Amino acid sequence: MTTVSLLDARGLVKSLGGKRVVDGVDLTCAPGEVLGLLGPNGAGKTTSLRMCYGFLRPDAGTISIAGHDLTLAPDAARQALGVCTQDDTFDADFSVRGNLEQTGRYYRPRIPDLKKRIDELLDQFGLKEYEHHMPEMLSGGYKRRLMIARAVLHRPRVVFLDEPTTGLDPQARVAVWELVASLRAQGMAVVLTTHYMDEAERLSDRLLVLQSGKVRAAGQAKSVLGDVVGEHIVVLPVSTPGAEGIPAWLAERKLITSTVLGCWHIPLDAAGLVAFVAAFPTLRYEVRIPTLDDLFLALADEKKP
Amino acid sequence: MTSFIPAFAWQSRAILGRHWRVHLRKWHTALLPPLMEPLIMLLAFGVGLGSQMTTLTWNGTSIDYLTYLAPGILAYTAFMTSFFQSLFSAYVRMHFQKSWEGQLTTQVRLEHVVWGEAFWAASMATMYAAMVCVVLVGFGVFGSLTLHWPWLLATLPLLFLGALAFSAIGLLFTATLPSMDHMGLPFFLVIMPIGFASNTYFPLPDLPVLNQISMVNPLYHLCEGLRWLLIAGELHWHLAAAAGLFLLMLAILIPIDMRLLRRRVFGDG
Repeated sequence: MTTVSLLDARGLVKSLGGKRVVDGVDLTCAPGEVLGLLGPNGAGKTTSLRMCYGFLRPDAGTISIAGHDLTLAPDAARQALGVCTQDDTFDADFSVRGNLEQTGRYYRPRIPDLKKRIDELLDQFGLKEYEHHMPEMLSGGYKRRLMIARAVLHRPRVVFLDEPTTGLDPQARVAVWELVASLRAQGMAVVLTTHYMDEAERLSDRLLVLQSGKVRAAGQAKSVLGDVVGEHIVVLPVSTPGAEGIPAWLAERKLITSTVLGCWHIPLDAAGLVAFVAAFPTLRYEVRIPTLDDLFLALADEKKP
Repeated sequence: MTSFIPAFAWQSRAILGRHWRVHLRKWHTALLPPLMEPLIMLLAFGVGLGSQMTTLTWNGTSIDYLTYLAPGILAYTAFMTSFFQSLFSAYVRMHFQKSWEGQLTTQVRLEHVVWGEAFWAASMATMYAAMVCVVLVGFGVFGSLTLHWPWLLATLPLLFLGALAFSAIGLLFTATLPSMDHMGLPFFLVIMPIGFASNTYFPLPDLPVLNQISMVNPLYHLCEGLRWLLIAGELHWHLAAAAGLFLLMLAILIPIDMRLLRRRVFGDG
């Protein structure tokens, strides 16, 4: 049995300021799935997301939200999606509860039992004691909670979270993770962008890695890492005696390496590691499994001329 | 046409409703300026300055300065309030509060936000103009002013239309001003020229250039139309000219506002 995608975006293309920012991206997300959208700055993550929730009109491609075409049936499609933008976009003239009440007025058909739904969300998101506070009085973590509560007020099928934990302390980040997990448990399709690799790894069922507006890799974290980075990372200081031959060895195999704080981080597959050990038998170095940080570094290095 | 259909959508009314809700919560402080400002203007200029002047001639008739000024203040209030709301207040909501972006994550689209802002500016301007009417009636009760009072209420729909058109100019600047530091520019470029060439405070000198400029100034036609209505009790062609210019402004400016604001808010277009 195949699961129908609640988000089904095909062949998205967008140029901004004469530059093609998104170039043929497909995005799908099923009920109860979290799709992590990754990529370095300028990869096209936010632009893709902004097309999916109707802020930008794609130059080409189609977007369907819970079966509703975003261009042909915008009201129905927008009824089925919820958005937590990167910046806090509260209505500064209303309290925490007032923000939720006011947001409820921006939907038709009207949200059934709005008051009850707001009480439910205030409890679920731990905002009950702050319901009469103005949003600017809240801490960063609670502001994010309110943003997410507002995004799901109308019980959307697809939720877009654009860097939901940026700038939060670890405790607040964990609280947001719990909320994201609860949205997934409720059967929502969740699409999130993040710069935190541990967050992407923990929360996402599937990753989509964008680079220069195109999909570079897609799948579960391990397979994405394997595709882009490799299976092992060899770490050793550049100044290690006997390491002078490494650049030539890498160049011969057309391997790209990253240098972080004076250390090489060399991505290698199993055969590559065997060859490295054979080529430099006397060197001492660390071998570790790759992380999504390595993926970012690899993508950034690929872009260098 | 696609720019005008959203004016009738529930989303535009929802945005208008939001502004009313916020305003009604602050009514006790919000009420003071629209009542005090015309009162002070009419007392300072109409009574104070007017007492230093002999009568002035309007339409071949001698009238006192307060009578001349009253319809002008009514028109100018609608113009200024609408322009200020659609420029300053809308800019703050769009740029600093980011409340537009919050609204746009719902079923509300940019065209609804634009119409909601325009309707709110026009509603606020009409409400302020209605308060000017109350002040004028007060002057009438004390015998300082004589106007054709039954026409006073009839001015409000035209003032609403005029305010809606002026809000379209305000939104044009909201879409294009690079920063808050440039907020003085529209006052210098729009408010001062339109205000001075409008007969609001004084009759314009009879110069051919000024006559030609005033013919395309909607505020001039509004002031003169209201004078004919309230002082002479006549429906004059100035009222039709004002209404025609307002409709023309809306037809031209609203689609431009939408396009420029789309670029401003979303970086698209």
